[in-house]
Amino acid sequence: MEFLNSIHLALGSPLWEDGPNGLLLLLNGLKVTVVVAFFSVILGLVLGTLTALLRMSQSKILNIPGKIYIEIVRGTPVMVQLLIIYFIIFRSYNLNQTTAGIIAFGINSGAYIAEIIRAGIQAVDKGQMEAARSLGMPLSLSMREIILPQAVKKILPALGNEFVVLLKETAILGFIGGNDLMRAGNKIRSVTYEATIPLFAVAIIYFILTYFISLGISRFERRLSSSD
Amino acid sequence: MIKVVDLHKYFGELEVLKGINEHIVSGEVVSVIGPSGSGKSTFLRCLNRLEEPTKGHVFIEGEEITGNSSVDKLRRKVGMVFQQFNLFPHKTVLENITLAPIKLKVMSQEEAEITAYKLLDKVGLREKAHVYPSNLSGGQKQRVAIARALAMNPDIMLFDEPTSALDPEMVGDVLDVIKDLAKDGMTMVVVTHEMGFAREVSDRVLFMDGGYIIENSPPEKLFNNPLELRTKEFLSKVLH
Repeated sequence: MEFLNSIHLALGSPLWEDGPNGLLLLLNGLKVTVVVAFFSVILGLVLGTLTALLRMSQSKILNIPGKIYIEIVRGTPVMVQLLIIYFIIFRSYNLNQTTAGIIAFGINSGAYIAEIIRAGIQAVDKGQMEAARSLGMPLSLSMREIILPQAVKKILPALGNEFVVLLKETAILGFIGGNDLMRAGNKIRSVTYEATIPLFAVAIIYFILTYFISLGISRFERRLSSSD
Repeated sequence: MIKVVDLHKYFGELEVLKGINEHIVSGEVVSVIGPSGSGKSTFLRCLNRLEEPTKGHVFIEGEEITGNSSVDKLRRKVGMVFQQFNLFPHKTVLENITLAPIKLKVMSQEEAEITAYKLLDKVGLREKAHVYPSNLSGGQKQRVAIARALAMNPDIMLFDEPTSALDPEMVGDVLDVIKDLAKDGMTMVVVTHEMGFAREVSDRVLFMDGGYIIENSPPEKLFNNPLELRTKEFLSKVLH
């Protein structure tokens, strides 16, 4: 009975006068988390692919900027990157927290995705490129038809893992005032003095999200491995 | 058909080819033998520029393939078969064979498939058309690889130790396919450890050692009466 009461207190009743109840707050937070994670992944994929191409080029002028980007991102905490982007780089632009979050997390995951893609492409046997080229296929066509389809299979598990990590990392969005899922849980906790329900609710929602991402990726992997 | 002038190749400090001159005429079958590390595979791979020569020139049908920007066009005339087969694992046998002719717009899809089935008949694997390479034995893979190279209708075929990765009982089938090609008059360069095959099929045998062509003779002469001491030593080790 007491348990049901605390559920009602945390999720069902208005948190302040004319305010939303906890459940609505969590759902709005979930929306922000999903939006930030989704667009960060897209940005990360674009940046990651470009950077991987830079890193694999023979030219030093292209290679070195890619390396610097990756080293800086991997060598500093994502929280520091988020705060620097919001409070310093975009301070005068009045950027909302969601957009700042997308930029920060996108740039962050771009560096990791670049390394994942590069490793995947380099893991394809050298003979595949040679066979394609020996048939007279140009470099770009060989990449598209022969190397990339095989690289995707090798990349996919690591990429899925990166998506899951990224989704969970967005939980620090509250540090710049973003109203994501984690922040919603914290708000409920501070208003109701009830910690168990909101924190477990937040944990369960994160878990469900990551579970379905992993499930989707492994389905996709299985479909791609039909030729093995 | 193939002309090689003063070909040198370095890997870093190591000089692998030390000035190769060679002329292969149309319809000729040339085997390249020699100990491992003698430069025979590197020589072969320079012919279609999979290896970039450090110095020298290679001409294919009168056109220079070294330093030529249209290397892709010239490569269509030169089919290559690899020791490790290098079939495309994400494509079926049929797709492996038709991919390049279709994508390079040499043939329509229909023409490419007709050609592919003809070639599969030739190598005895028509019933494997819709199978993925992972379901083939080594010998079958290599025969598909030969069909794939032939699909571009090349004038020259290069074989880089085509039977070295095969189980012994598979070697015969693959060699038979290569012998048939020789009978059809295909110009071929074959790097091989199969001395019996080299003796039977070749018009000429090149013995390479230390980055040089040491001896260059018809097979009966090279195998029965080698001129050079190093050739004799090598043959006494491999023919027992």
